[in-house]
Amino acid sequence: MNRGNYPSSRWRVLSQIIVVLAAVALTCAVGTPAQTKPRAQSSSTANSDEIATPGKSIGNRAAPITMEVFSDYQCPSCGNFYESTLKYMITDYVAAGKVYFIHRDFPLPMHPYSHQAARWSNAAAKIGKFQEVDAALFDNQAAWSADGNIEKFVAAALKPADFKRVQRLMVGCESNTSAAVKPASLSGKGQADRGCALDIYIEQDQALAKLLPVTQTPTSVITYKGQRYPAMPGFVTWPILKSFLDSLLSQ
Amino acid sequence: MTKEARENSRRIFLLVGRLAFAATFLFAAYAKLKPQAAMPWSVASVKTSLSMFAMQVDSYQLLPPQAVSAAAHWLPFIELGLGLWLLSGLWLRYSSLFTTLLLGGFFALMVRTYASGLEINCGCFGPGEKLGVKSLIRDGSLLGFSLAVTVCAFLSKRKHRDEVISAPASPAISSPQSAN
Repeated sequence: MNRGNYPSSRWRVLSQIIVVLAAVALTCAVGTPAQTKPRAQSSSTANSDEIATPGKSIGNRAAPITMEVFSDYQCPSCGNFYESTLKYMITDYVAAGKVYFIHRDFPLPMHPYSHQAARWSNAAAKIGKFQEVDAALFDNQAAWSADGNIEKFVAAALKPADFKRVQRLMVGCESNTSAAVKPASLSGKGQADRGCALDIYIEQDQALAKLLPVTQTPTSVITYKGQRYPAMPGFVTWPILKSFLDSLLSQ
Repeated sequence: MTKEARENSRRIFLLVGRLAFAATFLFAAYAKLKPQAAMPWSVASVKTSLSMFAMQVDSYQLLPPQAVSAAAHWLPFIELGLGLWLLSGLWLRYSSLFTTLLLGGFFALMVRTYASGLEINCGCFGPGEKLGVKSLIRDGSLLGFSLAVTVCAFLSKRKHRDEVISAPASPAISSPQSAN
């Protein structure tokens, strides 16, 4: 064993550690501002957009946590997320004033009836019946996805007088616009051509999704005391979401 | 290439690989533990970050909630420990083998999820990175590189052992034998 090599090898190990730690620190320092910048930008957009959204929300606006879910009524994963997670959250945390839930429409092009379902939901939201119709659409997703008869389930979820009001709002929105023509409407031309006054709300949600950016459904965006957390795409089980909400509330 | 030059290049390869993986795992742990919103570091912020990481693990739809929670709360610390272990250079064969097994597990999970059509976040280096071709190529390359480092570390050790065995005995030991 050569004892004379010890000091030099110790310095070599130390210098390696310093180099790696410096590289990690540099990467962290460079990475952090890049992540916070778009978040701040999208936060302001969300606030202005929320004003125009016709009550597609459940709960107390002053709740410490706001959860926005970008969803497609015909997407099976969104249906599963609603049935296994959001229902429990609405019953437990939204009812208790801990969470304010906002639904955001993000109808995907591959689902032929999701845009029409979103119109019904927006019409119901305009008369303050969003929660009922939202639940009816997800509860019966498989049934109306087969034939496109959404009206039947909306009618069953509302009182006749309320359904009449929703039907009046749906004037000009009867024809099922396939999601394939949505890009044209996003450019501002589609709205006037179709004459459906409700599409503006869907387009606002889609524009917001583009800013975040949201590319798939369901995607959850959670804001706690004004701090927006990164968007979470995909299905999450209720116990895991609950644990995250609890960790926020215990801060 | 001379024997010495080959040995030097092998040593450099092991050094670069070890430091690269140390940096990768330290960064991965940092990205999972750091506050996910603009707030200072605290025990509460780390707990929230781990809960957020649990949501990413859960979105893979592979484990029951209890296992998801346990995996999400341990994994960043395992990555941190592995990063420090690689950085120390101790028992490189075992640390590189552990790295390869860990990366192999991650890669298999990612391939399975991608093939099943789930559109989720990778969660590899914190939130915000979509699981897609790009992340698969990156993790596949890391796995290949780690495998190469592991093989090289084992070969290097075996070679060193062979050299020790085949080396002529030292005069202090050989002289009594030669006397016989």
